[in-house]
Amino acid sequence: MANDKSSMQLISRGILSENPIFKLALSMCPAVGISTTVMNGLMLGIAVLFVQVFSSVTISIFKNLIHPRIRIPTYTLTIATWVTVIDLVLAAYMPEAYAKMGIFVKLIVAFAIITMRLEMFACKESVNDSFWDGLGMGLGFMIGMMVIGFVRELLGSGMIFGYDVLGFKPLLFFILPSAGFFVVGLMMAFFNWIEIFYKRTKGLK
Amino acid sequence: MKDIITIIVRLTVSCLLAATVMGLCFVFTSNAKKHNEHVKEQKVMFELLGYKGDVKAPESVKMHELYRYVISGNDRQSIGYLLPQGEGEHGGYLFVNIDLNGSMIENKKVDITEAEALEAESRDKAVQATVGSGYSVAFADQTIVVTDNGARIAYLLDGKFQGFKTFVSVMLAVDPSFAMVGLEILEHEEDPGLGAEIEQDYFKNQFKGKPFEAMKAIDVVKAPIPADYLNALNGKVSEEDVLAFREQYKSKDIYALTGATISTRAVCNGVKGIVTKFAYRINVLDKVLQEQQLAVSF
Repeated sequence: MANDKSSMQLISRGILSENPIFKLALSMCPAVGISTTVMNGLMLGIAVLFVQVFSSVTISIFKNLIHPRIRIPTYTLTIATWVTVIDLVLAAYMPEAYAKMGIFVKLIVAFAIITMRLEMFACKESVNDSFWDGLGMGLGFMIGMMVIGFVRELLGSGMIFGYDVLGFKPLLFFILPSAGFFVVGLMMAFFNWIEIFYKRTKGLK
Repeated sequence: MKDIITIIVRLTVSCLLAATVMGLCFVFTSNAKKHNEHVKEQKVMFELLGYKGDVKAPESVKMHELYRYVISGNDRQSIGYLLPQGEGEHGGYLFVNIDLNGSMIENKKVDITEAEALEAESRDKAVQATVGSGYSVAFADQTIVVTDNGARIAYLLDGKFQGFKTFVSVMLAVDPSFAMVGLEILEHEEDPGLGAEIEQDYFKNQFKGKPFEAMKAIDVVKAPIPADYLNALNGKVSEEDVLAFREQYKSKDIYALTGATISTRAVCNGVKGIVTKFAYRINVLDKVLQEQQLAVSF
């Protein structure tokens, strides 16, 4: 199956038309649990980005050697390996960042979005395309997490990036995990509304 | 059949490959990681004692590590302490075995170096060899006695207790009268934004300066922290005012974190338990050391 999309199209697809959070609604549990602040969202996003890119490239390189019956265990193994490597390297050489990101990195093994990209894309396409696809999906996830984190941090604790901007805490509810789903739902509706609106105006013209 | 074999072979090969990558990575990073942990621990210790930023600890401040072991056999159970006897590499260690009533069973010299005592594995082996076969030893905890020119100025206590979800591991500093000097949360997995606030300064600073009498009966109040006290806890007022507030609130209970009463209570009770148990143990140990005229480095 040949892929006729350019690298830029692959990236923008991950961020916009197939955004893992707002369009595909994947990896909801960890995302909702952690996106309480913009910083947390950014940290988890960066970690996912690296694992996604490395895993996509690895699977794409070895795609002809993977037996189709056992492709899922192989994907999980690949993801787990990269997560462990990143975890070890961060702990050893970037202790400051690791202190903040440590718990997030280990969670990534269970992220559906990464397995899904390997299954849908990396096991069929070339190494080059897989790299761009992984990058796009990782960036899409990171941006989604940051947007949710922004809303929840602002409404839940009145802060942005840890700086007090409102001076009071409007709604404590937004810090709680259940509010994550509300925010995701509202965001989805908003993105869909924009898309429909955009298509309509285009259609009218 | 052929399929099964190819699946087995390929899965095995991929597992081996993954294991090699992870193993190599571990070998290359383990030393750096250990070093980081050690540096972090040292930094936490000095910060708890008030040597922060530009204020360096003077040369006369020394740290002495005590290791506590639970020794159990068929006929009796006792507590063993591995105590440093002198400064530096050639000090040697003394092993004191104390029964549950607080009287000494035996004391023996243990021939290990400081580096060996720091490594859990070699230390356990040495203690096991000292108590002899027939008894099993289990490492309980370690305490650091801080001295300045030979006089004790503080104790650093390690501890772990149940939080809201999993264990919270802390290090606390108490002065020789067991009043709180500081509290540091080392590891926890409380909820971000709620229980995780236990690592914020304004929460930890509430414990600072509480005397032993207050710590024995410390509890949690479910009320918002008064605004002026909160400013003092965050260090937004002058040094004297902070001390004045500490004096004013020194026998008050701990204010619960918003939406995280269970985490607050867990930390309170955990810290209370560590301090009161330690006060009892060190008194027993000191009494034994004095009665038996045993020389140790602290």
